[in-house]
This record gives sequence, C-alpha cells and structure tokens, in this order.
Amino acid sequence: MTRLPATTNILMTTLAICILFFIGCKTSGNSGGKKKIAVIVSTLNNPWFVVLAQTAATKAQSLGYETKIFDSQNNTSLEADNFENAIASGYNAILFNPTDADGSVVNVLKAKAAGVPVFCMDREVNSTEAATSQILSDNYSGCVAIGKYFVERMNKKGKYVEILGLVGDNNTWNRSKGFHSVVDFYPGLKMVAQQSADFDRNKAMEVTESLLQAHPDINAVFCGNDAMASGAYQALVAAGKANDVKVFGFDGAEDVVNSIKEKKIVATGMQFPKVMAATAATYADEYFKGKREFPQKMPVAVELVTQDNINDYAGYGKKEESQK
Amino acid sequence: MKLVKYILAIVVVIVIALNSVYFKKLDEVKASVSAKQFNAAAYAQTFWANKLLPNLDKAIEITQLNGMLSTNPGKTFDSYSHALGIGNLRYFLVKGKGTITSINEDDISVLLQPDTSQQAVTIATEYIFGNAARDATGLININEFNNTMDFNNVSAELNKIIREKVLPPFKQKVKKGNTIEFTGAIELNKEHLDISKIEVIPVSIMSIE
Repeated sequence: MTRLPATTNILMTTLAICILFFIGCKTSGNSGGKKKIAVIVSTLNNPWFVVLAQTAATKAQSLGYETKIFDSQNNTSLEADNFENAIASGYNAILFNPTDADGSVVNVLKAKAAGVPVFCMDREVNSTEAATSQILSDNYSGCVAIGKYFVERMNKKGKYVEILGLVGDNNTWNRSKGFHSVVDFYPGLKMVAQQSADFDRNKAMEVTESLLQAHPDINAVFCGNDAMASGAYQALVAAGKANDVKVFGFDGAEDVVNSIKEKKIVATGMQFPKVMAATAATYADEYFKGKREFPQKMPVAVELVTQDNINDYAGYGKKEESQK
Repeated sequence: MKLVKYILAIVVVIVIALNSVYFKKLDEVKASVSAKQFNAAAYAQTFWANKLLPNLDKAIEITQLNGMLSTNPGKTFDSYSHALGIGNLRYFLVKGKGTITSINEDDISVLLQPDTSQQAVTIATEYIFGNAARDATGLININEFNNTMDFNNVSAELNKIIREKVLPPFKQKVKKGNTIEFTGAIELNKEHLDISKIEVIPVSIMSIE
C-alpha cells in the first residue's frame, strides 16, 4: 500500500471537513423542510417592541415558518452576536428592528453576504444597499399632522418646548422635522427650549422639571414619543401646571391613549407596529416564493389621535370591534 | 545582484504609490456629489407640470364620490384612492363646483352644486400641508426613492407651489357668494371614514362669476 504525501492528507481532510460543514449548515437551515425566520429586536424591555416582535413571529408562524425572537437589549454588540447566531444556525431570513441606524448596517451586510435577506421594521439603517426592504412608520408625515393640530390648538401663538428622543436615532429627527415643517411657518409660536430625554419617561420628567424652572410661562410641550409625553405630563402635574400646558406625544402607547381619553394629553400620532411586523413577515414569505423587487423604504401611515377621535383607537393601533 | 533587487523594489513601490493616489479638482468632486443629491424642488416642478396638471381631468366629481363612499366605501377606495405607502390614509383627486358660503381665516366653505345635493366642503387656504397633492393621482412610484426624506420633501415642495402660486391670485379676488370651480386632493381614512368634514387641498381653483 502506497502512502499519500502529508500535504495531500491535509488537503483531503480539510475538504472532508468543509463538505461536512456545508451539509451540516444546509440541514440545520431546513430542518424538516421548514424554513426558519429570526426576529431580531432592539429591546424587549418596552411593550411597544414586544408587540412588534411577537406580531412578526406570529405572522411568520402563520405563514408556515419556524421562528425565534432574539433580544438585542439596545446593545449593538449583542445585536452583532444575534446576527452571527442566526446566520450560523441557518435562519433563512431576518425580520429586524435595529438598535442603531449606523452601527447596525454592518450586521445587515453580514447577513446579506451570507445570502440571508433582512427586512427592517420600524427603525431604519443608514444604507440603501443592505436590507432587502425597510418597513417604517411615516414619522415625518405623522408629525406634520401633529404640527398642524398643534398650531390650531395653540391659535398660532404661544411658547413651547420640544423634548427630543435619542439624538442618534433617525426617527427622532424625522419627527422633529415633520413637526417644524408646519409649526415654523407661524412666528407667533416660539420654541424656548429643545432638549433630549432619550425616549425615556423618567428623563423626560426631569428635563421638563428643569425646563419649567427656566421657562415657567410655556403653553405647550411637544414630545418625540409617548413615554416622554407621560413623563412631561407627570412633571406638569407636580408643578401644578397640568391644566395650563398642552402636551403632545407620538407612538400610540396604551397609557397615552388612556390619557387622551381622560383629557390629560392633547394628541399623539398612532403608529401601527402590528402592520409593520406583519408586512415584514409577508415580504419574507414573498421573497422565499421568488419575488425580488421590494421598495427599499415602505412608509406606513401614522394617524393623528385626538380627543375627537379617541374612541376609534386603542394602544398600538385600531380598536377591535369587541373593544368599542 | 543586491543592487538590482533594491532597484526593482523601489520601482515596484513607486508604481504602487502612483497608482494608489489620485488627484481631482475639489470643484469636480463637489459637483458630482450635488448631482447625486435628490433635488425635490426640481422633481416637484416637473411632476406638477408634466403629471399633475395634465391629469386633473381624471378627477372624480366630489358629489359623485360622496355618494359612492356612502353606498360602497371599500370598492370606492379600491377604485379611486391612492397612497405612496401602506395604511389607512388614502388620497383622492376630486373636482367640483359650488357657491362660497363663508370665507374663514384658514379656509373657505363651499356649498356644492347641484344645490339639491346640499353637500358642503371646505377648501384649505391656510394649512397646505401633508401628502394629498403628491399621492392623489397615484402617478408617483415609491421605488423611485431610496430615502424617506426625498419623498417627504416632494410633498413639501408641491405644497409650496400651491401656497405661492395657486392660492394668492384666488384669495385676492374671492368673495362670499361667488361660484367657484376647483380641482384638488383630499385625504380620507379608510378605516375611520368621515365624509362630513372633507377638506380639499386645491391644485386648481377659480371664481367663475
């Protein structure tokens, strides 16, 4: 028996390992012939994102796919681990809610390089070459509607403060730009302060408390999300100004919908996380069936919710018939 | 021999260095970047002149639309409404004729003809915002845009044309009791339909007496 040279042995062994590896990958990606969809969400510590993730998973399951939810805990490096795990475990598509518009691009590109399509939900990544499609709330137009209602309710004059979300998040600025695209037409409306509270209720309460000390004569507060609107309202109650200052939010969170009903908060912009999540899952299904042309950015309409139409709405979307 | 090797190495380094660095005029670089940027004002002007105005005759009579929405809203939305995105907010291109019953600070109230319909609409003259003018014809394709701000800016620019070109000559002459003809865009919520408070964003509006 002739002995093969050592280099040939090494090459043959490497080839065998590679073949076994690729067979393994293929098997894990299609266990039992069922494709798998990963739902990677920025955080599960906020009920709004829980609704988003669970709806995406439920819709994908109803379309016949195996699903798993990965929580990135608002941490970009944990998000990178989630992507690596999802790709290595053979997931065939990713429904993705990013933690960071810039920082998340590399993760989406990794998935793309591995042949795994990514569909962004609610938050966008700053690349038009990475995700297959991005299904996003039309934050700008939603805040145009809020801005118009704000001007009407303020009779085109008064002083107000704006509380921004995370300054590194695109949604923060799309909302702010939409609002100002209307309000800035009216010189009688003066913004006396603009400060970030990171989309956080407690921070918004602290920010409002300190702004009230510097500007005790404000007439309104516009907040970039509902958690901050709740925090601002709490601060106004503590300062005894809740009846004098109008609070406007954005999101359609359950507690703010209830506050509008109780005439505490004036208005919010209703986003539809369930619509975005279900659309992302449907797009993934269409992708598997051969469709390749998707809009890079698909806006989902945001509806103005006020005390006049509050009975049509519930937290995170429309009111079901049974709730009416 | 060593000398030849050194010379070869230096030649290789020089060739690599020369091929790694390019010089361009700053003006050319700036010009190429701005050429790639989306020009919403130019896009809106072209859309206004070449698509919106030539298609105004496709607008549906507003009294007819109201009747259809009352009897079969689902089919009417499917047949006549448009929107760039998904969701409940949809847009219609409408036309009508009527008598001005009041001129208000932010709008005018119009009693639609024929008088027997007794239907009224308001025509916005102050708050010209939103996506109605952009979306109502259904002639803009979402796939033309890579960035959300691009199509938001198209709406803003179309509204600017209405605010600066359409409304001033009309507002100067209009009086209560005038009969007017208008074509414009309206927004309706498919899920929570309310046709009692229709507001028209005018694209074309004129007094006919």
